[in-house]
Amino acid sequence: MNHSPFTTTRRSWLRQTSAGFGAMALHGLLNAASNPLASRAPMLQSRAKRVIFLFMSGGPSQMDLFDPKPFIQQRHGKSVNAPLPEQHRHESTDGLLALGTEIPVRPRGQSGVTISDLLPHTAAIADELCLLRAVHADNNQHGPAALQFHTGVTAEARPSLGSWVSYGLGTENQNLPAFLTIHPGIDTRNYSASFLPAAHQGTPVTLSAKVSDPAIAFLTDPASDEASQRRRFDFIQRMNRRLLAHNDTDARMEGMIHSLETAFRMQAATPDLVDLSKETEATKKLYGIGEKTTDKNGRACLLARRFSEAGVRFVQVTMDGWDHHGDMRGALPKSCAASDLPCAALIRDLKSRGLLEDTLVVWSGEFGRTPWSQDLSRTAPIEKHGREHQPESFCAWMAGGGVKGGLMHGETDEFGFRPVSGKVHLHDLHATILHLLGLDHERLTWRHLGRDYRLTDVYGEVVKEIIA
Amino acid sequence: MKLTALLLIPVAACAAEGDAFFREHVEPLLKQRCYECHSHAGKIKGGLVLDSRSGWQAGGDSGPAMVAGAPEKSRLIEAVRYTNPDMEMPPKAKLPQSEIAVLEEWVKRGAPDPRDTVAEVKAVKKTGVDVEEGRKHWSYQPVRDAAPPAVHDQAWPLNEVDAFILAKQEAVGLQPGPEAGAHAWLRRVTFDLTGLPPTEAEIAGFVADRSPKAHERVVDRLLSSKAYGERWARHWLDLVGYAEQIGTEGKVFAEHAWRYRDYLVESFHHDKPFDRFIREQLAGDLLPAASPQERRENLIATGFIVLGDVDINAIDKLKMEHDFVDSQVSKVGTAFLGMTLGCVRCHDHKFDAIGQQDYYALAGMFRSTQTTFKTRHGIWSNIQRVPLPELEEDREIARLHEQKLAGWRLEKQKLEAESKTLGGKADAAGKKRIDQLKAEITALELRIAHGEYFHPGKPQAIAVQDVAKPADMRLTIRGNPYALGDAMPRGLVRVAMWGPPPKIPAGQSGRLQLADWIADARNPLTARVAVNRIWQKLFGEGLVRSVDYFGTRGDTPSHPELLDHLAHRFMKEGWSQKKLIRTLALSRTYRLASGNGDLPSSMAAGNHRSLEADPENKLLTRMNRQRLDAESIRDAMLVASGRLAAPSGGPGLPLEFPENISGLPLTEKSNHPQFSLKKERESQAVERTLYLPVVRTGTQPGSARLRDVFDFPQPAQLTSKRSETTVPTQSLYLLNADLIRERGEDLAKTLFAIKEDDAARLARLWLRVLSRPVTAAEREDALAFLQASHAAGETQAWAELARALFGTNEFLLRF
Repeated sequence: MNHSPFTTTRRSWLRQTSAGFGAMALHGLLNAASNPLASRAPMLQSRAKRVIFLFMSGGPSQMDLFDPKPFIQQRHGKSVNAPLPEQHRHESTDGLLALGTEIPVRPRGQSGVTISDLLPHTAAIADELCLLRAVHADNNQHGPAALQFHTGVTAEARPSLGSWVSYGLGTENQNLPAFLTIHPGIDTRNYSASFLPAAHQGTPVTLSAKVSDPAIAFLTDPASDEASQRRRFDFIQRMNRRLLAHNDTDARMEGMIHSLETAFRMQAATPDLVDLSKETEATKKLYGIGEKTTDKNGRACLLARRFSEAGVRFVQVTMDGWDHHGDMRGALPKSCAASDLPCAALIRDLKSRGLLEDTLVVWSGEFGRTPWSQDLSRTAPIEKHGREHQPESFCAWMAGGGVKGGLMHGETDEFGFRPVSGKVHLHDLHATILHLLGLDHERLTWRHLGRDYRLTDVYGEVVKEIIA
Repeated sequence: MKLTALLLIPVAACAAEGDAFFREHVEPLLKQRCYECHSHAGKIKGGLVLDSRSGWQAGGDSGPAMVAGAPEKSRLIEAVRYTNPDMEMPPKAKLPQSEIAVLEEWVKRGAPDPRDTVAEVKAVKKTGVDVEEGRKHWSYQPVRDAAPPAVHDQAWPLNEVDAFILAKQEAVGLQPGPEAGAHAWLRRVTFDLTGLPPTEAEIAGFVADRSPKAHERVVDRLLSSKAYGERWARHWLDLVGYAEQIGTEGKVFAEHAWRYRDYLVESFHHDKPFDRFIREQLAGDLLPAASPQERRENLIATGFIVLGDVDINAIDKLKMEHDFVDSQVSKVGTAFLGMTLGCVRCHDHKFDAIGQQDYYALAGMFRSTQTTFKTRHGIWSNIQRVPLPELEEDREIARLHEQKLAGWRLEKQKLEAESKTLGGKADAAGKKRIDQLKAEITALELRIAHGEYFHPGKPQAIAVQDVAKPADMRLTIRGNPYALGDAMPRGLVRVAMWGPPPKIPAGQSGRLQLADWIADARNPLTARVAVNRIWQKLFGEGLVRSVDYFGTRGDTPSHPELLDHLAHRFMKEGWSQKKLIRTLALSRTYRLASGNGDLPSSMAAGNHRSLEADPENKLLTRMNRQRLDAESIRDAMLVASGRLAAPSGGPGLPLEFPENISGLPLTEKSNHPQFSLKKERESQAVERTLYLPVVRTGTQPGSARLRDVFDFPQPAQLTSKRSETTVPTQSLYLLNADLIRERGEDLAKTLFAIKEDDAARLARLWLRVLSRPVTAAEREDALAFLQASHAAGETQAWAELARALFGTNEFLLRF
């Protein structure tokens, strides 16, 4: 029931376009016909050509980082009459004590975008950021909430945001997938193509401490030398071509031959691309590579920049450690230290290379955290409390790719619980990301089981106020 | 007259005043704040328009927008006040207090609205679904048996199936292509029926069998094998959402799930009538049973309902339960009826004549079924389990297990005693011994806790039972479990009904009545859907290509008479899947070559005309090729390398290893124990892929990793037609994965176990991997390959060759 626009075979193309094309043009057409990742023109005028999505897994505390709340601050340690619905209360949150922010959140730069002292590097690029302060989503558990952030729904398996983008625009680099996800979490649905053609699924990339482990699964075969692998590759392709020669036409077999060739090229191209050793010391320092706290995320962000530069349409970097149920004041600074410099470095680096203009960077967790405290031990002093999940409102930021820098959009109530203006639902955020890429979220559809599916289901409004 | 006029004046004045108020204050506000999403000029979200009086009077999906004069009862006012988090309007920001006051005042005044009714309002007004009209769709029409049509070429059909197929081709001047060669047919039928390739001996046997019964003998042999049950059990699992992990948060094990998988293998192996199978899936717990064994099967079968995706660590349990009911209703729709029911939770179906009434009629049955329970671990729930009637063998297992536990407990006591005795003496050796004892005691404690937790003596199944007080379910507004509408009587999907709704006995959920309706020979969908799926497994595409969806936006049958003929026959022959498969596999149509001559050794004359005239092969002038599924790719390598283990079954997750479990021993504050897959059972490397654990999050473990690469569906996604994709990741896997290399090495070893020359070895290798003889050109190519790889040693060169063959298109495809 899947209607793919790419069903024509290469040979029938040859037959239909028998004359009039130069070899190169013909090659391009062949690609378009048989390759779902062929680069496609956007539907609308686009502001961004590619996306880097910095996913802060666990749910960063928006109040401690971006959205100060004097009301809570003044009542630190005291019980607050929170508007939390009954069905969302459970034993470890029933105290509902206001938990103040220890480290100040201040206006920054020319624009006055408010950012915590815990994020000094992000604070220094405040004027590049469009801070969304009233984002909201529908589920308060990590799994479903992360799934919704990636696919629009809190259950089932639907195509991921990156997959939709890949489907809409294809890739600019035929040696690489259009959607790469660095250090993804364990739920593979978050980067699955679901019912879209599998070419659009996210390819996981893992930077391990060990050099011998490939960054992409099965990229190399440590048990074979190059010559013997080449021999096998050639033998397989000879078998494949002989088989094809006995058949009039078979789009799939041709596709399989093509895919094996691509894989072989990927093997050759990717190791260089993921090899960060050739970067200058200055660049490494910029990203905090080599420093214990920032090395992992720094390398991931630098890699994301390199992938983007190489034409990968959608790159995601997941940074975890934001799930602060306890000891907020002790743990949050560590998570900030591990991610602040790498994320800010990415923006600076993109900017200095002229890439920020058409690269959209999005920073967000799957939800935020409550303004009141949580104490799972039920015995800790308020200073050691953490915060529970909060999908009702949280903060995210965007930069580059056609959004207004130095803007704060949206406000929450005095608790920092419910949005009061500039509300952006995840569906709206998705619609806006697609819009900036030149894709109309209502027209980017795929027919499955008799229904035209969209990333935004039946929802989503483009947040026009934040577009430059 | 005078009096009337007198009385009218103030009213009219009042009305004029109201109209003025509306024009001056309300209309501009509505225009500015609401029309974008709620007018004919903008969008019509939620079915609500505010650009006319009748618009808000009729209201949207959730009813009238206002009650004139009563702001407190008006949805519109509730929405703008932002008091209900699920209905806040405008969605992006609350209106200023002054504007809210205007709207409140307007409603309080009786909502005067002088605007004329817009004609189109009628068009968007809810009309409900037109069931009678909907019934005209082909798939809701009764199944009618059709006699096989007459054909011109009477020699061609081997059975009725062929007559239907040939007649359609003749009608458009096409003719069937050539038949596949013996090797190609044998490989095809063996993979299709069992998921495995034929062995060397089976190939030799079939090629040598000159009798007219040769094909029948093969098909009967395959149908009676356990491998057949295993293959078709996996097809069904694709519709269940089966995994051995519950939910996606953490790694919570479904330690009893395997019983359902093994039950399926046995059911298909013994050709359980499909109508009986349906009743067991949906209502096994409500069926009478003649023996404890049968009672067990009946209970285990209901795992169908619960083995799906559910978010078990939800705080909001009501929402969790509603979501789970939704997934169950959707599953029933997809698995048995070819209906998409999930979207009807929030609104009437947009294309099919299925209303919310139908959805909640079914949902009420599952809401009346116990499928989850709250555990004592924090906010966690788990899926329902039911104790199984004990059999003699269980008691024996329990006895042995108790013995083992008692032994461990005794040993622990001994060690503790020794430790106590040593306690006084504090010399170096004594201290060392005490530390040693401490470690041993801890290990024993873990083993005892593990043995107590996973006690095999009290067999359980993941299964369901009716709740104490089954009841009808109330409709929910847009799927919100806190926004309730009217109660909907439990019942069936009207568009596919032929009589009055069944009576649901008091105190029962109604699942049995649902099962009876689905398994009834008069149900227009059930047999058609089932038969079409079997056809699709054998021919690559269904007669209805949208195999999981028979609704109005789905495909229509390419051969409606054949579909009905088969559906009718299927039911008449006792809902026997094996009989149906036998008929299809022995047809001439199933023997056709896939294209223009399948293999180098069996080139056939061209059939260009049918390719051009029917590029999608809807008329089946040739066989559709299929990519082997993930299971078959892995299993075929095991067969080829002589390593496939005998059918096993039992738990997929190796939970018997304490190192695979965290969270034991349980304490007061314990979270739910979770599994990891640090240690794989040795036998799992060579078991059929079916028996390997299926997880919902993370990569599939161990050698099951291959599933992730070759289109194994996400358990949360139900489908009876897996996608067959071609992506470079697969090629990388074929080139570089350890698994392929290891199978190549195994295969080379088995070749060297027999003393023979290279030519004989090559012949054997080709038979094992590609199920056909090697050609002269290939022999030459292979010998050159071996020569070039010689440096690595002879066996290694052969291992490389075998590994390369596993990477060829011919191995990966079934022709």
